[in-house]
Amino acid sequence: MGTVYVTQEDAYIGKVDESLNIKADKKTVLDVPLIKVDGLVIMGRANISPAAISELISRKIPITYLNVNGKYLASIEPDMGKNIFVRNAQWKAAGESAQAVHLTQGFVRGKLKNYRQSLLLAQRRYDLDLNSGITQLSNAIASLEQAKSINSLRGYEGAGSAAYFGCFNQLIRVDNFSFSTRNRRPPTDTVNSLLSLGYSLLRHDIQGALNMVGFDPYLGYLHTERYGRPSLALDLMEEFRPLIVDAVVLAAINRRMLAPKDFITEPVSGAVSLTKEGLHLFLRLYQEKKLSKFKHPVMQKQYTYQESFEIQGRFLAKYLLGEIDKYPPLVMK
Amino acid sequence: MKNTEYIQIAALNQYAYCSHRCWRMFCAGEFTDNQYTIEGTALHDRVHTTGDIDKEDTWQIRAIYLKSEKYKLIGKSDLIEVVSGEYYPIEYKRGRKGEWDNDELQVCAQALCLEEMTGQNINIGYIYYAHSHQRQLVEINQELRDSAIATIAAVTNLLETGTMPPPSYSKRCKGCSLYSQCLPKAFDKLRNYQEAN
Repeated sequence: MGTVYVTQEDAYIGKVDESLNIKADKKTVLDVPLIKVDGLVIMGRANISPAAISELISRKIPITYLNVNGKYLASIEPDMGKNIFVRNAQWKAAGESAQAVHLTQGFVRGKLKNYRQSLLLAQRRYDLDLNSGITQLSNAIASLEQAKSINSLRGYEGAGSAAYFGCFNQLIRVDNFSFSTRNRRPPTDTVNSLLSLGYSLLRHDIQGALNMVGFDPYLGYLHTERYGRPSLALDLMEEFRPLIVDAVVLAAINRRMLAPKDFITEPVSGAVSLTKEGLHLFLRLYQEKKLSKFKHPVMQKQYTYQESFEIQGRFLAKYLLGEIDKYPPLVMK
Repeated sequence: MKNTEYIQIAALNQYAYCSHRCWRMFCAGEFTDNQYTIEGTALHDRVHTTGDIDKEDTWQIRAIYLKSEKYKLIGKSDLIEVVSGEYYPIEYKRGRKGEWDNDELQVCAQALCLEEMTGQNINIGYIYYAHSHQRQLVEINQELRDSAIATIAAVTNLLETGTMPPPSYSKRCKGCSLYSQCLPKAFDKLRNYQEAN
């Protein structure tokens, strides 16, 4: 089952025996055994009973609040792990340490390689010419090895991302959607609104995995400290963005599962978001993607993407604790 | 740093099973239940529900604290029996007798506590295996005592330094509830891994 998303305004989330029970208009809309739940996301203003909160927390299941557009608001997290060694190693590596540089290199390399792989696949599949973007990505990837500072790595990350998003419109294979440039806060077109929503969901999942491993999600390496920003979650998200979110967004659009009628534009601000039906569909697709299996290139075993969040978190801890001498970002062929 | 903390008898058992698991549980504070640990907890809850009872000439005392100042040990006994003034510990385990001798160590550590608490020599103990409903005699001989004392020293050192023993894969990993945290094969897998270009 994985994560339960509650999108119904004024829904009531309660605990009935060993299950999570969600009611709307006094009728049960979902009753799911707690053993199958590993996350709860509340979008909008649903209510949750104290009994449900304490049961979820005692099962170490995080509760995340998003607004109706998917913007992150807050979360109720189980007690942080007792693994002081992990947090100690995480903080010791803060700043410009050799470990921080290595990890940042890994996060960026993972993301850019996965970006390039997406472009290569699309080029073949749709018979496109994406060579200039692919070359720019390859150059950025090659430069990462020589980069000695985190700032220069950020530079290559920026260049690589720009190259990828420069091609993104060509990955959209239907007429009624288009992409020109990444915009957010708020996203002002349909494709950006989907990307933003997807990244918000992904970040909730990665942050949950990092908490489980024992990290402090607010101290990152590629992303610097800023009040209220879970930098380490944003760091670890990088390698997963194209694999999960971009893939889901493109599938939803190209397979015509979403149409422009599934979006609403706010007056004045121009903020674009999904309708309720569109949101349900997107959440289902995201959930299906997370639960899909793939062969983990390092472990050589089948895992779901959901499981791989934790595995990458474990690798991160192992690297920082000196158990392994390099961090292997998830790079897919 | 001189160790002023008591160590838990259960940690000895874990250490003998796998030093890395012991570190995760007692240094890093990680614990995850699996089928085996849930069965074990349920079994111990049952054993611990009754207090001390007289059974003919056997005095049974359940769930009492054990402590040794000499070895800085604390723990809880499942069952202590006293027959004709002689004390011995009985440790309850789920399943049947395993391939590992860590349960014997735990019984021996209980006996060391009991010797200090009663002033008597303890020469035997038992492990009760819930699966076979059989008690198995544990002889508290010198060899077992030496091995328990060595394990106490090793665990004390582990807790004092917090140094992580590296994980290594063995047959024991199969039943371990911390497998997905530990990923004991990761080191070797990573050594053979070539990232796609």
